[in-house]
Formats: sequence, C-alpha cells, structure tokens
Amino acid sequence: MAASLFRPLLRGGPRFDDAAARRPILTFEAVYKAYRADQPVLRGMSLVVERGEFVFVTGPSGAGKSTLLRLLYRAEQVDDGRILFLGRDIARLTDGSIPFLRRNMGIVFQDFKLVAGWTVYENVAVSLEVLGLPSRLVRTRVGEALERVGLAGRGPDRAEVLSGGEQQRVAIARAIVGEPAILLADEPTGNLDPQLAIDILGLFEEIHEAGTTVLFSTHDRTLLEVRPRRVVVLDEGKAIDVPQGLAVPGIRMAS
Amino acid sequence: MTTAARALRGGRSDWRLHALSVFSLAVAFVCLASALLVVVNLQAVEARWARAGRASIYLKDGVADDDVAALRRALAQTPGVSGTRYLSQADARKDVLGDGVAGALAALPPEAFPASVELDFTPELGDESIATLVAKLRSVPSVESVETYQRWTERLAALLRGGVAASAVLAIVVFAAVVSVVASTMRLALQRRRREIEVLKLVGATDAYVRGPFVLEGAMEGVLGAIAALLLLGLLFSIVRGRFDADLAMLIGMAPVFLPWPFALGLTALGAMLGAIAALAGVRRFAAV
Ligand SMILES: Nc1ncnc2c1ncn2[C@@H]1O[C@H](COP(=O)(O)OP(=O)(O)OP(=O)(O)O)[C@@H](O)[C@H]1O
Ligand SMILES: [Mg+2]
Repeated sequence: MAASLFRPLLRGGPRFDDAAARRPILTFEAVYKAYRADQPVLRGMSLVVERGEFVFVTGPSGAGKSTLLRLLYRAEQVDDGRILFLGRDIARLTDGSIPFLRRNMGIVFQDFKLVAGWTVYENVAVSLEVLGLPSRLVRTRVGEALERVGLAGRGPDRAEVLSGGEQQRVAIARAIVGEPAILLADEPTGNLDPQLAIDILGLFEEIHEAGTTVLFSTHDRTLLEVRPRRVVVLDEGKAIDVPQGLAVPGIRMAS
Repeated sequence: MTTAARALRGGRSDWRLHALSVFSLAVAFVCLASALLVVVNLQAVEARWARAGRASIYLKDGVADDDVAALRRALAQTPGVSGTRYLSQADARKDVLGDGVAGALAALPPEAFPASVELDFTPELGDESIATLVAKLRSVPSVESVETYQRWTERLAALLRGGVAASAVLAIVVFAAVVSVVASTMRLALQRRRREIEVLKLVGATDAYVRGPFVLEGAMEGVLGAIAALLLLGLLFSIVRGRFDADLAMLIGMAPVFLPWPFALGLTALGAMLGAIAALAGVRRFAAV
C-alpha cells in the first residue's frame, strides 16, 4: 500500500524532477460521472490544467462544477475515465491513501466549513496538525497564513464571531497553510456581497501569484470579467475552454 | 495537538452529555460491583468455615469432668482425629463475646453457651468416616449434639455459586448497558461534531486520527463510570460496616471485606475497554470513519 500513498508534499518544487514539473498538474481524460443512470453529469469530460495556472470553472447551475471538484478530492468516484493529479490516477487510489491525496490540496467552500466553536487559530492549525507537525512549527506557519489573508492577530477569536468575509479568509488560510500544490474553490464568493467577492478573488490571485495552481468554480459573471483569465465552461457534461475576449455562453448573470 | 488534547477539547464542549453518560455507567457498574462484593464476602465466609476439618461436640449441662476426660481419651485414640480441646461454658462465652463484653449478645446468660469438646480432624479423614464418627458420638450419653459445620460450608458454597451466577448475569447486563450508553453518547457527540469530522477529513486526516479522540473519550467514560461506581459502593460499604460491624463480625466470624484491589482495577479496566470498543463501533457506524 505504501507505494500507492501520496507523500505529503508540503512545499512543491525541489522534490520534483524536471520532467514531472513540465507535465500538467491535472488532467481529466474522458471522465464520466452519473449519480443516477438516466442523468449523467459528466459525459466524457476532458480538461488539462498546467502547473501554476489560474482556471475559472463556470457553467449553469447543476452543470457539475461541484461534482468535478468532488471527484478531484475523491469525495466521489468516477464511473469511467481517468483523473491524473501529480501524475497519479485519483480514481485508482485506495481509500487509505485519500487523506494523503487531500494533503496536497487546499479546498475552499461557499459555506466556509469552519468549526464554529474553535478559535480562528485552531481552524487553520488543523491542516498542519493532521500531518503531525511540531506545535512550534504549526504556530509560526499559522501566523504567516493568517497574515497572508489579512487576519493577523485574530487567532484567539472564536470563528463564529467573525463576519462572513473574515470567515472565508480563515477558510482560505486553512487551505493554504499546508502550501498545497493546488487550491480548489467551490463558489467561494457565493455567500458574500459583490465587493467582498472581489476582495476574496484578489486574495486568490495573490496566492496564485505566489505559485499555487488555482481551480476556481463560480457562476458569478462579474468575477470572470475582473481580469482576463482562462475560463472553462461546463455544459452538457463536457468542459469547453472559452476563447479570450468572447462572452461566456450559457451563463446567467449572478442573482 | 495530541489525541488526548483533542479528546479533552471535544469532551469539554459536550461535558453535560458525558457527565450524564458517566452517571448511567456508574449505576450499571454499581450493580456489578455490589454483586462482586457479595461474592467476595461469601467466599471469605466459606473459606473461614471450611478451614481444616473440625467439629464441635456440644455436651449436656452438668457433665462430670471424668466423663469429659474419658471422652477425650477415647477420641485421641480414634484414627483421623488430630487433637481435642475442652471448652467450658465460661470459655465458650468468652470465645464468642471476647473480653470486652458489649453489644446485644452481652446480655445472654452463661447457659446459652454450652461446654464443648472441639475436635480437629486430619485432612485425610473422608466425609464418610466423619459421618460414622459423628453417628457414634451422638449415641454417647453425655453428648447433646455434634456440629460438623459441613452443612454450613455446603450451604455457603451453594450461595456462592448462586452469587457467581448472578454476577455473571449482571456482568452481561453491564456489558450491554456500557456499550449502548457509550455508543449513543458517541452518536450524539458525533452529530454535534459533524463539521469537525468533515473538516478533518477534508484536510487529510486519516480515519485513525479522526477516531482517536472519540475512542479515548469512550474509554474515559468507562473508566470514570467504574471509578464513580467504586467510590459510591465504598461509601455504602463503609456505612453498612459502621452500623453492623460488631454483631455481624461476631456471628459470621469475620469482618466484611471490600473488593480487593485486583477486582477494582479489573472493573476499571473493563470500563475502559468496553467504552473504547463501544465508541469505536459508534464512530464507525455513525460517522463512517
Ligand atoms: N449526491 C448526489 N446525489 C444525486 N445527485 C446529485 C448529487 N450531487 C449532485 N447531484 C446532481 O448532479 C448534478 C450536478 O450537481 P453539481 O452540484 O455538481 O452542480 P453545480 O454545477 O455545482 O451546480 P451549482 O452551480 O448549483 O452549485 C445536479 O443535477 C445535481 O442534482
Ligand atoms: Mg456547486
């Protein structure tokens, strides 16, 4: 089993040989996924994400954006096809190695998913504690992560007293504190007002600039238009790259 | 953060829930521990009465010293009898009541304590030979009655077997109680900490890491339940002992004893083990980790 485990790669880069570094970080190859046989969600979806890319994933509600991300962190299993992440087929991982897969990913959700009774510090530190890092190292790295998301000094506060925008920043700190190879975000701005949404997007861009690959799912059109970025539309069970400068088809304005 | 620290954090947030289940476990354990206490004391009494082979030959009032001497001589020559001892009425009274005459029995007249010849048998002497000897002794004119204590030992042994059987049944009831109480506590705790478990799994915690604190909490519940039960029983025991010690000890020939520490330790270990197993089962069943 040890051979199939993902080694926790806390800091990407030096551990990779050149060939691995040039390969795409993430490849979907003809992925099929249906929750019910008569309603397939993904139908032969293919997508390649290069190392260091920032990719928006968009599409109408129910198109399968969340499903795509859930397949990635193995909350769901593909029916057919392959998903290669860091050169390995996620679909073929044993259950025992799923935790090691997830240690290479930071995941951010629309509903933040913080533990309300824990402090801000505890909510972020949990990412490092599961790795068994010594507490001194945890302290310094959580401090750095909170500073990166603009919450320096808020560590001792209980998570539930924070505003929505602040809570999402805590969730982002938790996602990046382990310096994952990829950051997955499932409508991270869906619960925030438009200005806050732009701020949070800015935070993701800063993290991206520092070298992290970002997969950002949203159906908020205004976010797509902030800056020219790669946009992938999920529709009819497939992923289509939107040529730059064209309007994104098939998407309603955010309500 | 260690498993213990995480268990403590989780346990603190649900302390009411845990206190309630520790209380329920304590009640269950009190039943088991009391049964064990009864068994332990029965066993001590049985051991006390079964100690070596002996019999008391109670003499009729006013038997002449010569008769007694003749009887003792005859007995001393009987095979299987290792010794005889004469107990006068005064000796007998002193033997039962002790020097400091006190308590309800002190009012008893000397006639209540018949003179006797105490017989010691060699261990080789079989039950049948004793029975023949006793039959012979009963026909001796100066002998009022013969007490071999065997009936008592047998009765106590039967009582003891009953006690052991009752304890075994109680043990099963306690097993069931511990498992169901801890499992349902864990189910509630898991529900309240669903988000925590979800987060742990998302950031790459192994199942063992997620389970750890819950199993520890279950074990702690079992331990605390057992300890609380022992403390409660100890309190009850000291009350009972304080009230009845003087008379009870005289009648039975020994003072009541509390559970020896290996029992107490075993009970606590049982609590820890059952609590951990129940918690593990609960986590697997209700949180699928
Ligand atoms: N666990 C599930 N069981 C059954 N059907 C599901 C499940 N999860 C998702 N679906 C269905 O799969 C389809 C895709 O869902 P998904 O959540 O991936 O869409 P989405 O693109 O994220 O939508 P939204 O923009 O509303 O979040 C939907 O039709 C949904 O009803
Ligand atoms: Mg979704």
